[in-house]
Amino acid sequence: MRRCYRCLLWLHPPGFRREFAGEMLWIYDQSPAHASLVADGAGSLARQWLLRSGWWKIALAMALAVFQILLGGLGMELFRRRNPVAPVRTFEAAAAYSGPLAHRPITIEIVMYLAVFVAGGLAAMVILLTFWMRRFTARRVR
Amino acid sequence: MTEDYSPFLPLSPAALHILLSLAGADRHGYGIMQEVARQSDGQYKLGPGTLYDNLQKLMTQGLVEASPAPPAHDDPRRRYFRLTGFGRGVLAAEIGRLEGVVREAKVHLRAPRRAT
Repeated sequence: MRRCYRCLLWLHPPGFRREFAGEMLWIYDQSPAHASLVADGAGSLARQWLLRSGWWKIALAMALAVFQILLGGLGMELFRRRNPVAPVRTFEAAAAYSGPLAHRPITIEIVMYLAVFVAGGLAAMVILLTFWMRRFTARRVR
Repeated sequence: MTEDYSPFLPLSPAALHILLSLAGADRHGYGIMQEVARQSDGQYKLGPGTLYDNLQKLMTQGLVEASPAPPAHDDPRRRYFRLTGFGRGVLAAEIGRLEGVVREAKVHLRAPRRAT
């Protein structure tokens, strides 16, 4: 059981482990209720990685990036349906392509629309995160 | 200038009990756990994971800080913690808030129920 608890402590983020793991193990040695301490250690492990270590920010950034790309693609598609444009210049690779999407070659206009929508989504995300981050840091500094 | 404690309120039960246990004396982690169990008559027990997770958060927020070990310090693995002045203010604000809740609850529980 002690080995299991040590493993749980070892799996914590390095900063937390360096600062508190020694004391936590010492408390484990003092305490008679080992099973509940292992459960508590597992809960702490989840909280540390999901909430405190900042990994959730990376997961959120990735989710927002996927959302931004989807938004850009959707916006471009809607724009194309409303404003059908005959392809003016196609890329050579698209012209040579003969698969199921060959009837919709990638034009420079499409690339430009995509870039505009992606840039718009990025700008909106930066503005939102800036406001949110300002509130977040103000709360922590006070 | 009065400080604004409202962003920290309400405190979680764990944070409240930890601050309360440090209000009387500087303590190490195990001492905090024992004091919390004593204050709550054994009804609220903190595990070390919950304790140090909350201590880390409270230290980041500036409510608790590490304190120098007392002279009769028996084990070098033990670290002592103490309440900062700001932490004491937050604790007082939370106790004031809870007093208001208790006052309100007493009024409502004493009065006969009526349909709204």
